[in-house]
Amino acid sequence: MSHRFLASLGVLAAVSLAPAPVAGQTPAAKSKKTAAAKTWTPPRTPWGQPDLQGIWDFATITPMERPKELEGKDVLTAEEASEFEQRTLVQRNPDRRDGGSQADVGRAYNQFWWDYGSKVIGTKRTSLVVDPPDGRIPPLAPEARQRSEARAAVARLPAAGPEDRNLWERCILGGNAGPPMTPGAYNNNVQLFQAPGYVVILNEMINDARIVPLDGRPHLAPDIRQWRGDSRGRWEDNTLVVDTTNFTNQTNFRGAGRNLHVVERFTRAGADTLLYEFTIDDPMTWTRPWSAAFPMTKTPGPIYEYACHEGNYGMFNILTGARADDKAAEEAAKKGTR
Amino acid sequence: MPKLAGVIAGAGLVLAPAAAPVWAHHAFAAEFDAKKPIRLQGMVTKMEWINPHAWIHLDVKRPDGTVEKWMIEGGTPNTLLRRGFTKNSVLPGTVIVVDGYQAKDGSLKGNGRDLTFPDGRKLFLGSSGTGAPKDGRDPAEAKR
Repeated sequence: MSHRFLASLGVLAAVSLAPAPVAGQTPAAKSKKTAAAKTWTPPRTPWGQPDLQGIWDFATITPMERPKELEGKDVLTAEEASEFEQRTLVQRNPDRRDGGSQADVGRAYNQFWWDYGSKVIGTKRTSLVVDPPDGRIPPLAPEARQRSEARAAVARLPAAGPEDRNLWERCILGGNAGPPMTPGAYNNNVQLFQAPGYVVILNEMINDARIVPLDGRPHLAPDIRQWRGDSRGRWEDNTLVVDTTNFTNQTNFRGAGRNLHVVERFTRAGADTLLYEFTIDDPMTWTRPWSAAFPMTKTPGPIYEYACHEGNYGMFNILTGARADDKAAEEAAKKGTR
Repeated sequence: MPKLAGVIAGAGLVLAPAAAPVWAHHAFAAEFDAKKPIRLQGMVTKMEWINPHAWIHLDVKRPDGTVEKWMIEGGTPNTLLRRGFTKNSVLPGTVIVVDGYQAKDGSLKGNGRDLTFPDGRKLFLGSSGTGAPKDGRDPAEAKR
């Protein structure tokens, strides 16, 4: 198999971090954590740790990066936020038929099936990215740009087999499940479980359960690579810090490589609010580390199983579609040579 | 390749959100053919309540009396469950109209661009969001 794995960029967010300094704490992240910790005292588990358990919903229409149109504007007023929400929902509404047949195919089924929320985050910040302060993810390093372009070129070809399609389509990784978690189109739900010595992070998307040891053990050896990396947790005051390395090159969070280093921070900020922050570092991919933050809201649940692989007719259809494309191209070539 | 994406920009508007694209589990453009629009009326024979995408099976009667067996792709049942929709909400025997696009290989599969009853009512009615509160209870908001 060639290096045709890959795939639609942006679908999988994988961040690559070289084993980097401990928990890239940005000033923004730090101050937020402090504010949260000061304003609310979380309940404790019977063994004395802050209790983060429950089902948390992280749907929001606040974009990861600040839109170009909002350059220089950190926060929306209530009126602007309302306008932004309305306009975004209109733009995303799959019932609209004004984009031509190609757009129609992409819009597929209607709004009923989607679940990306309808509100911006409560701070009304214009991006989930909090560092750099301009709300934009730093530029890709030259090597990462080449890697992304090569992947995009492969993704445009009809797939020879499933390995040519992205990991989400293959039901290997969930597009929003991370690490780090990022709001997506549906299944924006995560359930946290705690036991002495462990935290389990169960994402609804792809049913991913990350079992995170809290006992201070080191990361896996560098030659052991995992789709979702290798997570280790610890407590800093009332904040759960989860440090993840050992990703594969194919994990590809927003173009990241295998040296991606993700540091996530979970802090209860109220009875129904969990503040989630993450810092991404991969010097081979981005010119500097970057961080994002957003609240998750407690939801009664339940989380539903997302058993992806067994019913993934889409993969079969994509590959038969690719063969149909091959055939059409062959016939066109024959005609051209006559 | 375009997945689901609200691409149309509200040009000139100060607050035009660059509608961050949202993604479906897989690329519909790789599966269905924009040059093969379909409009079918048929009787539901089965709803496959499966992830990552539900499938509705339909018997479609052709003008010559023969019956074609079609399959129409939808989204994840998880979202439907949260909206109170269940496997029994589309029972066999229900007649529906599908406006969509056919599979690239010409097989009798389509995506359900619009699903309605014969009288035009939408099969799935809903708006975005689960209704879960997102009212800014994250701490930084309170300070503003």
